[in-house]
Amino acid sequence: MAKKGYIGLLLLVFCTMWPALAQIRQNAFTITDDQMVLYLDLKLKKADIDSLLRIADIKGVTVDNLLRGNFNQLQKDGWTISHMADNKLMLLKPLNELAANAQMRPFLITSNMVMHDKQPGYPDDDIKFGINSFLRQNVHELPSGVTRFFLPSNLKAKKVLVSGNFNSWSTSKGVMIKTDSGWIYDIKLSAGEYLYKFVVNGRWISDAGNLLKEDDGFDDHNSVYFKYNYTFRLKAFPRASRVMLAGSFNNWNANQIVMMPVKGEWVRPMYLHEGSHIYRFLVDGKWTKDPSNPNTQTDAAGNINSVLNIGEPGVFKLNGFANAKSVIVSGSFNKWNTSELHLHRSGSQWVLPYALPAGNYGYKFIVDGRWMTDPANGNYMEEDGQTNSFLAVKANHTFTLKGYNNAKQVRLSGTFNDWNEPGWAMVRHGDTWTISVYLAPGKALYKFIVDGNWIIDPGNKLWEQNQFNTGNSVLWMER
Amino acid sequence: MAFKPGGPGKISFPGAYWTDPEPSGEFATLVIPIKRVSNLIILEAKVDTMEGNFVLDTGAPYLVLNQTYFRNYPHYNEQDAGGINGDAGVAFRTSVRNLDIAELHYDRLLADVTNLSAIENSRNIKVLGLLGTKLFSKFVITVDLFQNQLYIHKLNKDGEIPAAEQLYHDPILKMPFYYANNAILFKASVNDNQLWFAFDTGAETNLIDYRQAKKLLPTLQVINRSKLTGIGGSTFEVIYAKFEKLSVGERVFTNNKVIITSLEQMGKAYGRDIDGMLGSDFFGRAVFTINFVKKEFIMYTNKNE
Repeated sequence: MAKKGYIGLLLLVFCTMWPALAQIRQNAFTITDDQMVLYLDLKLKKADIDSLLRIADIKGVTVDNLLRGNFNQLQKDGWTISHMADNKLMLLKPLNELAANAQMRPFLITSNMVMHDKQPGYPDDDIKFGINSFLRQNVHELPSGVTRFFLPSNLKAKKVLVSGNFNSWSTSKGVMIKTDSGWIYDIKLSAGEYLYKFVVNGRWISDAGNLLKEDDGFDDHNSVYFKYNYTFRLKAFPRASRVMLAGSFNNWNANQIVMMPVKGEWVRPMYLHEGSHIYRFLVDGKWTKDPSNPNTQTDAAGNINSVLNIGEPGVFKLNGFANAKSVIVSGSFNKWNTSELHLHRSGSQWVLPYALPAGNYGYKFIVDGRWMTDPANGNYMEEDGQTNSFLAVKANHTFTLKGYNNAKQVRLSGTFNDWNEPGWAMVRHGDTWTISVYLAPGKALYKFIVDGNWIIDPGNKLWEQNQFNTGNSVLWMER
Repeated sequence: MAFKPGGPGKISFPGAYWTDPEPSGEFATLVIPIKRVSNLIILEAKVDTMEGNFVLDTGAPYLVLNQTYFRNYPHYNEQDAGGINGDAGVAFRTSVRNLDIAELHYDRLLADVTNLSAIENSRNIKVLGLLGTKLFSKFVITVDLFQNQLYIHKLNKDGEIPAAEQLYHDPILKMPFYYANNAILFKASVNDNQLWFAFDTGAETNLIDYRQAKKLLPTLQVINRSKLTGIGGSTFEVIYAKFEKLSVGERVFTNNKVIITSLEQMGKAYGRDIDGMLGSDFFGRAVFTINFVKKEFIMYTNKNE
């Protein structure tokens, strides 16, 4: 009875204090002493009602149902519904529902709020190309192949570090060595984009000589350095006055990348992301393909573009099938195109060299129109109900499981394949099941599936508890 | 419900007759670079042979280690399920031989081992543990989130930072706090109602217990309600809200963000009820200093502003 009386009082308040339409979103959901209250004006547009339901995290309730007077789901979710004049509703729920499953530490709440897909302080993986820009060049490539970071002056400093995504933003590694003009640190880097700062006596500073910078998210910036992996060269047109480079990697922007005249040719070194790129040169306003690159592709408008493949080289091979007329390879790397990649006959094999970006791919051969998995590859994966052969390019980790000699099938599932079920098939060599895969930097969680049973990796002592209390193995990939 | 200083409170320290040895290190002031991940304050430290990231967490009583990496450490004493662990029943207490935070060294320390995978998985950063208050109880620490530096000061005989080492001047706020069960507790007012808050650098936002939510009225603006999933898959609800006026010491902070939830379990970690926690939304506004010896909380404006 007391509760009813309380609602009655609220109704009175409600009738006199219905929020103005302009404030409807702001005031529609509120709390009183011990209730949360959602005011719903069913005369509002459906989209507005929907957004009010979302604010109150009411799911599975359609506006149409509300308009028809069907409140079953709301009642099931614990809301008390009061009908108001003028087609308005007031929904009430006790505030003490917030007490259920109270959490023990703040991070258990806040870690739900923001999810970081990429590691903080790491560049986006989808950057297609990069060219350094220095006011004063403090990062150099040495003839030995190592990269030297240099911080000029600061000779009175006690300790100077360089910290970046190449050393997991460590504040203890990357110790620089003092010279007569500043501090140096040498490191072997693979091609790519690197973010860094210097740490002088515990204080972060960015590279004052580097004009390339990226917001660090905290009112400062990280310096950006690209380790190059490709140099475009154009030997023709030595007398041209201006040569530009444009391609798929910079959205064909012809005003961005200037070719530099060096010893009678035009050159442009840069970092170019792995994958297939098409490009042309713009020589004094006229487009031309790369005369030294035989690999070309004609676009829909009839333009001839030069083609460049950057990535780990490998060869697709298929033994036998001597009488086949055509062998094609098709996979997730070319969006399952069925006419693009033809293997050619070489001795007793069909072969096709390729260069693909690092990653894990599914593929199949098409022999005279018939799809088949790669008979020489025991690693395979299931995608959309299809069994495909598994290819890891730039594989950087080998999962192994020993001691399951009698298992019929062992598969691998984890965060890197979205907990794919039934998982990627492993191959047995003697008493060990293996699969080599490419893993992006950061944390990976995984399990083995042995004849349908999910187990954590007995060879990895790192594991963490999961929501099923069965544990997941933990692996950190450092760059 | 409010915490009463000096009132009865259970200190949960089962079976421990342990006094951690004194920290040592040749320095007057240590300058330690901070890393930022969302609203977490990360610094590097080394526990025995493991080196890596730790969260500076004044909501933790002492050293807390991530179970993933320290599962095989000796079980010094099984902790009862009501400890600070987020994964009741599986955490345990251990001891480490060495902890090094830059030049600051600790010999033989007690530590709790618990599941911190929620931080790792949401922030995509490897976290070895939490650095709690007791580690700094002989020092003054200053956190400058504008320069991303932590200063650890040794104190003179008056319990102050020696004048030559004092980097920040003209405080905008200076007030005492209660130090109970290794927690920093003080009174603050929300819309002129006094509440007891824990100051928690591990809290990425302010939190207020739902039973105190009415004290946020009338300027409370509810943003939305959200159902979240905890460890073990159980769900819980929170309300995101804003309120206008937070008074701490003599200082008024406006436009405050808060999560309304139940702090009943978090209060157990302190052995007493708390009404709220002041986290990043509060401390991110200024440089702050905690003098653990004089039990003073001080704030300074960003010196570069």
